[in-house]
Amino acid sequence: MIWRVAICIAAVATFFCAPHFLAEYHLFQICLIAATALVVLGLVVVTGLAGQISLAQSAFVGLGGYGSAIMATSWGMPLWAGIPLTAFLVSLAGFVLGQLTLRISGHYLALATMAFGAIVQLALIHSDPITGGAAGMPVPPFRIFGLTLATGSRLYYVIIPATALLFLIVWNVMQSRFGRGLSAIRQSETAAEAMGLDVLRYKATAFAASGFLGAIGGGLLASLSTYLDPAQFGITQSVYFLAVAVVGGLSSPFGAIIGSAIFILIPDLLQSFQSYLGLVFALLLLGFIVLRPNGLASVGLSRYLGLASLRTAGGWR
Amino acid sequence: MTNAFLRVENVTVRFGGIVALDNFSLDVRQGSIQAVIGPNGAGKSTMLNAITGLYAVDGGTVLFEHERIDGRSPHTISRLGIARTFQNTELFGEMSAVENVMVGLDRHYSYNLAIGMAHGPGYRRSEIAARRRAQDLLALVGLADDAAIAAAALPFGKQRRLEIARALATRPKLLLLDEPAAGLRAAEVESLNLILLNLRAEQGLTILVIDHVMALVMAVSDKISVLNFGRKIAEGEPDTVRRAPEVIRAYLGEKAAHALGA
Repeated sequence: MIWRVAICIAAVATFFCAPHFLAEYHLFQICLIAATALVVLGLVVVTGLAGQISLAQSAFVGLGGYGSAIMATSWGMPLWAGIPLTAFLVSLAGFVLGQLTLRISGHYLALATMAFGAIVQLALIHSDPITGGAAGMPVPPFRIFGLTLATGSRLYYVIIPATALLFLIVWNVMQSRFGRGLSAIRQSETAAEAMGLDVLRYKATAFAASGFLGAIGGGLLASLSTYLDPAQFGITQSVYFLAVAVVGGLSSPFGAIIGSAIFILIPDLLQSFQSYLGLVFALLLLGFIVLRPNGLASVGLSRYLGLASLRTAGGWR
Repeated sequence: MTNAFLRVENVTVRFGGIVALDNFSLDVRQGSIQAVIGPNGAGKSTMLNAITGLYAVDGGTVLFEHERIDGRSPHTISRLGIARTFQNTELFGEMSAVENVMVGLDRHYSYNLAIGMAHGPGYRRSEIAARRRAQDLLALVGLADDAAIAAAALPFGKQRRLEIARALATRPKLLLLDEPAAGLRAAEVESLNLILLNLRAEQGLTILVIDHVMALVMAVSDKISVLNFGRKIAEGEPDTVRRAPEVIRAYLGEKAAHALGA
């Protein structure tokens, strides 16, 4: 308990001190990592926890970005309200998609979610009047309390708390009967049903949660990049998010953060290798699937932070 | 006959051209321990899966407390008060024993998603109470000291008992056991016998066992039905069934029929 309070105080202190010590560019990168981690957190819930492979994550991200941007440009709804509202609608879509597709499993489910992703991307490209079509559309600036948050160093104050809050919620859910239920479904769907769990509903809810997190992440990423290009929301990007999740560790929320940090910082460190970046990521992914299927979160790092003991104490692994 | 607790009436289950269960009927009286035995492939597990909603029936009806349950989903049937174990154990391997049982308790120590998200009021109380109840159930099947061990790491005999504890957690009125004694040592079968008899004596639980380990079935059952090739070939008290020649022939083989006859 004392440790937890201490960690919380340290985290809040770090949060307020960081902007004074870090350059604008680094704050931007931190925001990028946090928003990406939110997207990947959605995969941790649906794939890592509930065991359902989803290639629809980039579609949720795209819907989150476009939805909030369109609400802002067409109806003048500020992004701080538009992003959560869009995410809520996307999660409803995720729930329905889950009800429709989760009766199938394995490869077929992966294909169905991939098809959903392709449909969304096509819809974005072909709805020229509102989405700008293949050329994309600009994202209006993030305004809150009369302030315009146009740069990474300012969005920092929105993105980091939002990310922290959502991570906390997911963490809590994982430690609750719902986390236990999803984990049970992953391990034996037959037994989970025999225990009286409504498996389809659980899975569809997990899908809805991944949609919500993906859309929030998408909205935040859009306001960071200030421009939406439909090419960003294809199957490649879905696979990218899945790769981030696998390298970080699919079974842990910390995996989402670790994975995002690696995939965003590595391109920086390997500037001279730019053209081989895809290869580096592919090798990382392969290496982790073969050698460390539980990702980086399962290696020493989390143990150093004392997270391992927290993990075994709760209802999930 | 009319007040049967569980009533399987003329149930047929087909897989393609194979008739796994052929016009099978079974009545289970409340408070009894009954058994269905038969050689491998006789349709015992098919029958269990048909009762619990895992397989659709191709004919006939299943009534539980006068309510039709065939065609319902497995989780609905579980909520009506029918719990089961699995022949090849279907435990949640990565979870500890106590967490396995807590999944079974889920419905009885529930709180809504908002409270789960915020760890709001009732979360802590509910989780602690569920954990304590799960510990009690583990103690009931003799696993009190194994609560923190991952289910997959438990020896086979203990996994079977954990399955029973987890099934009991759903607060069933009827407990279906799919070959609970398969692969157990003699001493383990005996302790399983005791557990089953205690469950009936103390909680009034109705139990239907399917198995081919005689030591268990003969010692605890009030009534035994014998299945062969999807059909019921005999039914009665253990002693009657044990002596029935067609049972000995079908179930234990020609040689055994001679040996027992001599």
